[in-house]
Amino acid sequence: MNDSLLVDVEGLHFSRGEKEIFRGLDLQVPRGKITAIMGPSGTGKTTLLKLIGGQLYPDAGRVRIAGEDVHRLPRRALFRLRRRMGMLFQSGALFSDLSVYENVAFPLRVHTDLPEAMIRDIVLMKLEAVGLRGARALMPSELSGGMLRRVALARAIALDPELILYDEPFVGQDPISMGVLVQLIKTVNQALGLTAVVVSHDIKETLSIADYVYVISDGRVMAHGTPATLDVDDDDRVRQFIHGEPDGPVPFHYPAPDYFTDIMTGRASS
Amino acid sequence: MKRSKIMEFGVGLFMLAGILGLVFLGLRVSGLGNGVGGDTFTLNANFANIGGLKVRSKVTVAGVQVGQVTGIELDPKWYDARVTMAIDSKLEGQLPRDSTAAILTAGLLGEQYVGLSLGGAPDTLKDGDTIRDTQQALVLEELIQQFVSNMVKN
Amino acid sequence: MSDEHARRRGASRRPPVRQVVALGRGTLDMIDALGRAGLFLMLSCLGIPSREGIRLWLRQMHFVGVMSLAIVLVSGLFIGMVLALQGYTILVDFGAEDALGQMVALSLLRELAPVVSALLFAGRAGSALTAEIGLMKATEQLTSMEMIGVDPLRRVIAPRLWAGFVSLPLLTIGFSVVGIWGGYLVGVEWLGVFEGSYWSNMQGSVGFVADIGNGLVKSLVFAMVVTWIAVFQGYDLIPTSEGISRATTRTVVYSSLAILGLDFVLTAMMFGEIG
Repeated sequence: MNDSLLVDVEGLHFSRGEKEIFRGLDLQVPRGKITAIMGPSGTGKTTLLKLIGGQLYPDAGRVRIAGEDVHRLPRRALFRLRRRMGMLFQSGALFSDLSVYENVAFPLRVHTDLPEAMIRDIVLMKLEAVGLRGARALMPSELSGGMLRRVALARAIALDPELILYDEPFVGQDPISMGVLVQLIKTVNQALGLTAVVVSHDIKETLSIADYVYVISDGRVMAHGTPATLDVDDDDRVRQFIHGEPDGPVPFHYPAPDYFTDIMTGRASS
Repeated sequence: MKRSKIMEFGVGLFMLAGILGLVFLGLRVSGLGNGVGGDTFTLNANFANIGGLKVRSKVTVAGVQVGQVTGIELDPKWYDARVTMAIDSKLEGQLPRDSTAAILTAGLLGEQYVGLSLGGAPDTLKDGDTIRDTQQALVLEELIQQFVSNMVKN
Repeated sequence: MSDEHARRRGASRRPPVRQVVALGRGTLDMIDALGRAGLFLMLSCLGIPSREGIRLWLRQMHFVGVMSLAIVLVSGLFIGMVLALQGYTILVDFGAEDALGQMVALSLLRELAPVVSALLFAGRAGSALTAEIGLMKATEQLTSMEMIGVDPLRRVIAPRLWAGFVSLPLLTIGFSVVGIWGGYLVGVEWLGVFEGSYWSNMQGSVGFVADIGNGLVKSLVFAMVVTWIAVFQGYDLIPTSEGISRATTRTVVYSSLAILGLDFVLTAMMFGEIG
């Protein structure tokens, strides 16, 4: 057991219905680093995070966090393990019936018996870290998308987790909030010494903060390395993805019969 | 905090209104508390036929309710109906012994009730006494039958 | 798919076989859904309520019960008034308008109040519950709650279920009371039925347990079924905007069918022997 590894995924198989999403995925997340998992849309990156968080069960293979097999743990132990994890969802996933303050206080109230004054201090501290201490009285519906994600980040770090999982943190953000989020993920990682897993397909932003990158495709790890080595990788598929080329091993066209015969036979369906 | 207080108050009112509604249904609609409040004494009366009389039917004197029917059973000695009534205890020792009881109908199709008519004897009815002189319920079919057979005889 | 294609797929795709296969798949899907729904109900309802749970329940009582009060009471008033008007025109032909109170009260307590309140409740509160829970699912609130280590069945579903169970019987009582008052307004105040006979006929014929009690049992059964359907549809839906709108429709349709079907069964059980 390598002590510097926080998350260790071995031979992961998972399918949804008929569709195989992972067939033998291996990856390692070292402690204290930012590991990025990248890949085209629909490769099951979010599914991977749910598998790591123990919300889905794999068909084969295992996920170990700090040496504990996530999917072998009894329910109570799994919930205890989740206290040590934070997850930032794509949409922020703030509880819409609670204010910003109560959202950040939620994990503290659930998992600790801290007095109200202490909770208040922690919440304000976390909100200050994401720059939204002034917005504590607002309801989630009054926030912009970028602010939602920052509050969600404050909530995710409320219990000072060891591991934080980011699900597509940059999707649909304007350049300014994108910059803010990139900055925040980096600071949180450095200041708190957290381990981070970032799932994304925004190449530029992700490569700028990641220490190590896995590119997954077809249910397997296609390439891995530091951002610098991936940037100069000669593999066609990696190059297409990293440099965002429209056509290549991942074809532009959805599989279809020959264009010419298709047009000439002139049937609407089939 | 203020908003949640108003909400809790609203829910409290809602529950209270529901309970009061149930009380209203019990008292006013099903007439649960309708019996004569307070103390009662028991009188019995045997009827040849009680028609549609039910437990909780009214007992009246001169149209004023003075009690209610508390029990109806078949008297195995005479094979007639024995009706037990709870009467307002203010009337205990006031009703003459030769009072009569009749089963009457409110309106043509209305509910049936027991009407007491007072006699003139000096003795009075006491708790547990039985009224001897009774008049059975009017059963429409029997009435028509009588009428038809009378017509045939004439 | 073209005919040629279908033939190539072999015998298993010929019409009668295909329909039997579809029937079989439908049945299995239904059993699967029922199993999931049953497990869901059990997991949500069990467990000791905490102080926090009671606070959440209160909030849902407000959302589910108090907010449905207006529509239920207004409908009850009008239904009571219509009953009195219709009843009067029929009863007056037999000279039996004194029995109006009895007719209004019995129709309301035994049938109309439980059924109509439940239908209104399904439309007002049931669909809102489905949409709300569905939205929480679509915005990943339920998943994130699980990741924080809180069971959404306990925290989100259970208070809503209990609020529904308690609210609908209370609403049904309100419906009856207002309906009987509406009947009184029309029958006594307007059409001139004698007030004493309106109430005394009612009191003579309405049994507390047989009529009021059974009506409440009905509404309790409806409350459980409607809330269960609404909450489960919300929890089990496909988290897209189309999924939410379909699930909301399903809640109203399934609830209405369940209410009317169960009403027949319950009525046969409760009042079947009373001639």
